[in-house]
Order: sequence, then structure tokens, then C-alpha cells
Amino acid sequence: MIRRLGRLAAPLLFALAGALPGPAAAETETRFPASEHERTTLTIRAAADLDAMAPLIRDYQLLYPDVTVVYHEYVTADLFGEVQRACAEGRRSGGYAADVVISSSVDHLIKLANDGCARAHRSIETGRQPDWAAWRDEVFGFTTEPAVIAYRPDLVPREDLPRSRVELVDLLRRKPDAYAGRIGSYDITLSGVGYLFAVYDARAAATYGRLVEAFGRASLRVRCCTADVIADLEAGRIAIGYNLLGSYVYGAMRRGARLGIVVPRDYTLVLSRAAMVPVTARAVGDAFAFLDYLLSARGQRVSREEAFFFDRTGPLPPGVDGPPSLAAAGLFRPITVGPVLLAVQDRAKRARFLAEWRQSIGPQGQTGGPAP
Amino acid sequence: MIPDSVIPASSGPASAGKRAPSLLASSLFARLVAVLAVVLAAGAGLLLVAAWASARHAADEAYDRLLVGAALQIAETIASDGREITVDPPFSAFETLGLSPRDRIFYKVVDPADRLLTGDADLAVPVDRARLAAGPVLLDAEHRGQAVRAVVAGRYVPDATKAGFAAVVVAQTREARRALARGLTAEASLMVLAMSALALGAVAVAVRAALRPLGAIEGVLAARGPNDLQPLGLAAPREIHLLVASIDHFMGRLSGHVAVMKRFIADAAHQIRTPLTALAAQLDLLSSETDEGRRRDQIARLRERTAELGHLTNQLLNHAMVIHRARSASFDPVDVAGLARRTLIDAVQAAGSREIDIGYEGPDGALTIPGDAIALREALANLIHNALKHGAPGRLTVRLGRERDRVVLAVEDDGPGIPAGDWARVREPFQAAAGGGIGSGLGLSIAAEVAAAHGGELRFESHSERGFCVVLSLPDGAPA
Repeated sequence: MIRRLGRLAAPLLFALAGALPGPAAAETETRFPASEHERTTLTIRAAADLDAMAPLIRDYQLLYPDVTVVYHEYVTADLFGEVQRACAEGRRSGGYAADVVISSSVDHLIKLANDGCARAHRSIETGRQPDWAAWRDEVFGFTTEPAVIAYRPDLVPREDLPRSRVELVDLLRRKPDAYAGRIGSYDITLSGVGYLFAVYDARAAATYGRLVEAFGRASLRVRCCTADVIADLEAGRIAIGYNLLGSYVYGAMRRGARLGIVVPRDYTLVLSRAAMVPVTARAVGDAFAFLDYLLSARGQRVSREEAFFFDRTGPLPPGVDGPPSLAAAGLFRPITVGPVLLAVQDRAKRARFLAEWRQSIGPQGQTGGPAP
Repeated sequence: MIPDSVIPASSGPASAGKRAPSLLASSLFARLVAVLAVVLAAGAGLLLVAAWASARHAADEAYDRLLVGAALQIAETIASDGREITVDPPFSAFETLGLSPRDRIFYKVVDPADRLLTGDADLAVPVDRARLAAGPVLLDAEHRGQAVRAVVAGRYVPDATKAGFAAVVVAQTREARRALARGLTAEASLMVLAMSALALGAVAVAVRAALRPLGAIEGVLAARGPNDLQPLGLAAPREIHLLVASIDHFMGRLSGHVAVMKRFIADAAHQIRTPLTALAAQLDLLSSETDEGRRRDQIARLRERTAELGHLTNQLLNHAMVIHRARSASFDPVDVAGLARRTLIDAVQAAGSREIDIGYEGPDGALTIPGDAIALREALANLIHNALKHGAPGRLTVRLGRERDRVVLAVEDDGPGIPAGDWARVREPFQAAAGGGIGSGLGLSIAAEVAAAHGGELRFESHSERGFCVVLSLPDGAPA
């Protein structure tokens, strides 16, 4: 009964800021009003799709009906800048950004925690986290999102379907004309997740160089954000999207987009989107409660069923081609939530990596296609 | 720390009766255990500090290797093409640092001109390029208010605009080190504390066992009747053998003292009872006498008897006093020459109207020996009195002189003296030479007692030309 009320309330949500997609839209704010007398307001600033987070927030409000949640959606780089600024100000004069910060660029949160901008939280739920999904009791990975190959089933014949990176490289060599300009991925100079996946691709296997080279020859179309690449796929401007966030692609698929998903069988990069409570948070107790909820069995179930669709140990969701599970033997390459991500954050490393990438992808990749 | 049970159960009514000032003062066991506990606690404290220091050192050493490894891995990626210096911090360096899972990591890479290549600009760890050639430099520092352990590693860049060392600074917070040091210290502490507790327990048991013979002595003494002055006859360990021997010696002395007193009291009672009986008989005679002339004679005799009885009583008391002093008084320096002269002058007054040549031969100055002045005076007075009373028809000489390490005090007269056969006997109380009246039995005995108490002797000498001589020979107290 309550659940139905929650769903009925959903259309009442109102957006205060413009909902323009792309980097131009710096932030959008959405309120989830408390269903009972409002005790407190929990401010979440996140680099995560509202569509994915909304079911979790509403379920959280069933447990805490007196909490109003204000959700600000950002692109990762802006979020990082905002929280970093608030943290620096907070040391002097009570700067405040948010009670909970969520980002798919886990390296940003690790950098923030390393700089002392996060609050530690210990509970039964945090104690259950695997070592690779939490750091210092400050940054917690709460999702399981594989990097997948998305494709248009009608534009990619079944025999062409690449099930691993080597097969993708082979395909581009065998049929350069058919796929030239029809492969899409992130512009890793703009997308935090794209950069993270690319760096881990380079770390995970020796095939990275060949892959990027092949992309360069095939005139890779790059976009800032997952949604843009998916839009390109839906519009038929590209046939294959590489290294996309599996959760968003699956969400689009569930909403009726004609898409197919392949979880690569050579190795599976898995991002655990992370959350933290900044030192400058005001509703600290509620922020910790929200963290505990995200990590709890109930939060994980909602996440699997309605928000991010994948989990560590269970089978892949229906309609996804790939190994039996993400944690299948030998394939699982989690992006660990830990100090190693400081290497990803390194300025010199990033500059060098992006320079090499630009050089390989070439000028076509730089310009990309026109935004829809 | 001191358990309640340290009051020995056998101390019983004595310690329960009067309130002890404190447990420590009242109980040997508590004192011993307390001292040992303090020593053990101090030792344990020192060990804990040492354990902590060594644990800290071990933890630093362990994690320093990771830190140096990471810095070297980063340093290796510093490259130069003659125009530009580049660096590409490898993942492996951060994975190495990540082996201390909770620690924050700060780092920077600077070129030979100290321009930042990458990392945290505000990491203010000093870079001493002069030392980098010898290898990575480890140091303790502070960054953003946190204590950090830092390492500086260098890579020589010869073809830069300014040739020299590019430096990698890597700093790490101390959480893992602290945790490791804490863990090691805790383990060591447990061992130290267990060992200390064991030692204290052993000490308590050992001290209790060592003090058990004292309890046995106490038990034996408590079980004794008030008149039992026999030696304890206990087998005691070497350390308290002296105590048992002292108690036995004391018992012996006490027992001898009591025996002397008993004999003295018996003799005195006998000596006083006889003249009292005679006095009573003469009083009877006096009361029935009617003749005035005989009555006067009897009264004169009675007065004489009463005076003798008074003299006897004085001597008895003197004797008791001398015996008592001999066993209790402490010795002070005594000028024997002065004492002899004064005693002689007193005696001359006592001699009254008799024609007698009294002389003193000895040093005019002082002659000092350790002794009891009162007892010595009494002894000499008795000798002079004896000589006046029994011998000395015309001459009495007191001579004082030295004989090797002894001081010799001689009383000489021209009387008949005591037969040599009686010399041993007359030293005993109430054993006057044959023919003596009442009150004549104690003088020599008192002198002999005093001589013995001073470690000297009383002897007799009979010279045909000079007369009879009683000699007190006393040690002069000079170390032999």
C-alpha cells in the first residue's frame, strides 16, 4: 500500500533547474518531499542518473518518511570541484555542499577522502563490505556496474557481434568500411567514467594499444556521457558502443530502447559507484543512515531490481549476453575503492594518457558528431 | 596490590590489641612483598617502554620498505628528452602503498629546479638534494596537521636546463604503523604482565616460606610457662640462627640473674632473721631487768646490735644495687685516682678517733678507665671499711698503679689478713672469714662482684714485711 503511494508521488516531483542534457547543464535539483511531517532535509549531490537513484531514494523514504531528500545531479568533474571547494572552505568558515556525495568517478571521492574531506562511518552494514569496495570507512562502493559493449541488434549481424575486446579489434580489421564512424564511446577527456574505464583497460590487458589504434582507424565517435552514446545508438548514428556503463544501457533497454548488451568474456571491468559523507555535512546522522541503507540487503535488492540491475554474485540480468556472473572466475576486474585510484588522479599520468589517446583516436574523435 | 591476607594469622592478640600504625610498618611480609612489587612494577614499566620503542621501530622499518619501494617505482618513470622532464607514476607504486590499507598518501614530483611535475603542491617536505645521491632519504614530517612518514628519492637528470636531481617525495600517514606497533606492544605487554604476576606470586610464596621459622619461634615462646627460661632448642636457618642464639643467650642470662636473686633473697632473709631474733630476745631481757646498771649495759648492747643490723641492711641493699648495676649500667669514663682519694677521705672521717696512719700512693692527676663510678666507689669503700674494721691496727695504704694493660687498686694494712685457705670462700656473700660478726660477710663479695662486672678480678696478697693486701685489678679499657 505504502509502496503504491510512493509510486503515485513520483509524478509530483518537480525539477527546479533546466533538464538540458550534456555538460552545459551544470546541475539539476529534484526534491523528494517527506511523506510525513518533515524532520530534516538530506542533500545529496551526485553524479548518477536520477532515474537510477530515484527508486533507492523513495525506498529510503519508506524507512525514514520524515526526511526530505534534495537531489542535485551533476557531471562528475563539476561535482568534484564543488565538493573540494566546500571542503576547503569548511576548514575555515563552515562551507557546505551536501550531506551525501555520490559519484561514478570513484577516484574523485578517493582523492577527497585522502585530502581529509570525508567523514568515517562504521556500522554493521559497512563491516560487510568487501575490502575492495570501501576505503578508510569513508568511501563506500554501493553498486556493481560492468563496462559493457552495447549494440543495435538490427545494425550488427549476429556473426559480427564481438564478445571480447580481441573480437572487436578483429571485427574492425575485417570490416573497416562497415563500421567506420559507427563505433561510439566516451570522450575520456570529458567523461570521468570513460577515463576510469580506459585507464583500467590499459592496466588490465596488453590489448589496449591495439584497441585504441583500431578505434582511431574506425573514426571513433566520442561523447561526454553515457546518455549521449545511448542516444546515438537509439538514433542509429552508431551501431556499437564500447565500454558503456552497463546499468544505464540496461535501464535504457528496459525503457524500450532497441539495444543488445554484451558483457565481455575476456575480462569484465566493474565499477562500484561510491558514496561518502563530507566532513562539512549537516544532517550527519541521516547521511549515515542513507549510506547504511544503500549498503543494506534491502538497498542492494532495490538497486538490483530497479536502479543498477547488476550485482556481484548473482546471474546477469535477463537479455544480457556474457559470462554466467560478473564475479565469474578469472574475469572479474573490479575498480577497487582504494588509494590505487590516486594514480588515476595523477595530473602527469592523466595528461600523458589523454595525449596518447588523442593521438590514437585522431581529430575525428575529437570533434565527435553533432549533439542530438 | 598488597592482599589483605598479609597480616600473619599467628600474630594474634598482640597486633589485634594495639592498633598498628600501618600495615607496612606492622608486617614484615607486607613490607617485603611491597618492596618487591615496586621493583617488579618498575621493571615491568621499563620493559613496556622498551617494548613500545622496539615495536615502533619494527613497524617503521616494515612500512618504510613499502614507502621506499613506491618512491623508487615513481622515480624510475622520470624521463627527460632534453627539453621536457616527464613522469608517469605507475599503479604499482600506489598498490605498494595501498598495502597499508587505511593510510592516506601524499606525494609530489619536482624537477631539478624544484618546479612541480605532479602531485600535491602543498606537500612541504624538505628536499635535500645533496643527500639524494646516496639513496632515498626517510624522515618524519607533518602534512595538513597529520604526522606523516616521508621518503625522498631522486633521479638524476643530466640533460635538463639545470642538471641535477629530480625528486620524488612520498608521504604516508602513520595509521598502519601505529596499529602494528600497538599490536606488537600489546603482545609484549601481555607477556611482561604475565611474567610480573608470576614473579610476584612466587615472591609472596617464597617470603611466606622464609618467614615461617619466625612463626615457629613465636609459637614456642607463646606456649611457654612464665617461669620456663630454658633455651628454645630450635633448629633455625642460618639467617635467623643469630636471633635464636640471642634469645637463648638472653634466656641464659635471665635465668642466671633470677638464680642469683633467689639465692641472695634466701641468704638475706636468713641474715636479717638471725639478728632480729637476737634483738627480740634482748628486748625481752631488757623488759624483765630491774637492775639499773645492767639495764644500761643491755641498752648499750641493744644500740650496738641495732647499728650492726642497720649496717647489714645497708650492705644488703648496696650488694643488690651493685649486682643490679653490674648487669644493667653502662660504662662511662671514670677517674679512678680522684675516686680513690675521695673515698679514702670519707673513710678517714669514718675511722673516728683511732690512731692510724692512712696513706695514698698513686698519681696526683687523673687516671681514667671505663667503668661505673658508683659501683667502683662502693667496692673501694667496702674494702677500706673491711681493713679498718678487721685489720689495720696502725697503718692503711691505698695504692693506685698500672700493671701492663690493667689499673691496679690495692688496699693494704698491717693487720693479720685472711688466711690463704679462705681466699676463695670469702668472695662469696655471707661467707666472712672465721670469727666475723654480723654484717661482715658482704664487703669482699660486693668488691668481687664489681671487679667481675668490670671484667677485672679481686685478689689477695700477703707480704710478711708490708702486711695484707686486697687488690682490685681492672682493665684500663685501651684496645689490646
